[in-house]
Amino acid sequence: MPVITVKKRGVHIQELNTAAAETLVLVHGMFSNLSVYYFNIAPILAKHFHVVMYDLKSHGLSERTSGGYDLESMTDDLSDLLDQLNLKSVHLAGYSFGGLIALKMAARFPERVKKLAIIEAPDPGDDKTRDIIDDYSREFLEHYVTNFTDTTKVKMGKRQMERNHRMYEYLFHETTIKSDMIKERDFFTAAEIAAIPQEALLLYGKESNCLSAGKWLKNRIKKVEMLEVDGDHNVPIQQPVSIGNLMETFFKN
Amino acid sequence: MDTIISTTKLNSNEIFDLMTQFITEVIGEEFVEEMDITMESSFTKDLEMDSIEIVSFSEKIKTHFGEQIDFTGWLSNMDLDQLINLNLGTIVNYIEECQ
Repeated sequence: MPVITVKKRGVHIQELNTAAAETLVLVHGMFSNLSVYYFNIAPILAKHFHVVMYDLKSHGLSERTSGGYDLESMTDDLSDLLDQLNLKSVHLAGYSFGGLIALKMAARFPERVKKLAIIEAPDPGDDKTRDIIDDYSREFLEHYVTNFTDTTKVKMGKRQMERNHRMYEYLFHETTIKSDMIKERDFFTAAEIAAIPQEALLLYGKESNCLSAGKWLKNRIKKVEMLEVDGDHNVPIQQPVSIGNLMETFFKN
Repeated sequence: MDTIISTTKLNSNEIFDLMTQFITEVIGEEFVEEMDITMESSFTKDLEMDSIEIVSFSEKIKTHFGEQIDFTGWLSNMDLDQLINLNLGTIVNYIEECQ
């Protein structure tokens, strides 16, 4: 099991095609893990690139940590991971919260990021996103699973419900994730977004409630292309091959 | 790194036992004791494995069999419905054919 130590903390990583000349790092979203890429998207990209996936702190199989969920800390983590893997500069893609990490990384460390793909990054200033965190309860999770996860077809059994509930309880009540997210509410209007120098691809679901965030970014980032794909916020799970192929074309050319 | 590349050809019963061992290591003995794992057991519905647990399971297969079995590549050709309905017997058959 590739759990490596980065700055004294266990980080679960998966790599494909380590012999490739260029590296592409994939960042997953909040309350998710690297499996969002592992089965379909990463193998498509690994035809051309050394693909690195990692679990964010307290997610997937990475070690739990009580603090440091703001974008500065999350990009410090990514920068430390690149150092640990001896990667000077990489292509970077992120989904949802991972998209925010990718944007921040491109802004903070432009010399380390070549091209940038952002999938369904939400606007952290949108109250609806933060309300979910504030209103969390077991009942909320059960309601959410019953009513909204049907777009991914994956039904959660009792053991999974319990596992997820424990993860949410930990993140919401024993970490700084809530307060750290509030700190980021002005991120989309910050000058650093407009100053992102890399060529960027924005991928959003046509039915996504984050589509307006994508359109906002399209108007802010200088060298950017935006593509809308059939689906909602869960588009990498709904359309993994389309997303993988679009990213493959973007990063390869 | 617990890399054990197996070169001995296993029959379907031996592969089934090995897969059951991997499942136990991934989801924990306390959960497996409550289950009746069979060739028909589906990963998501019966075994209630989530995607990161299936990643761990895939890695165990890679570690054990090495390059002779491209398990992740095989999974990557499946759509979501096929992944959700994937059962242990299908995996045992695939591994047996690849050896």
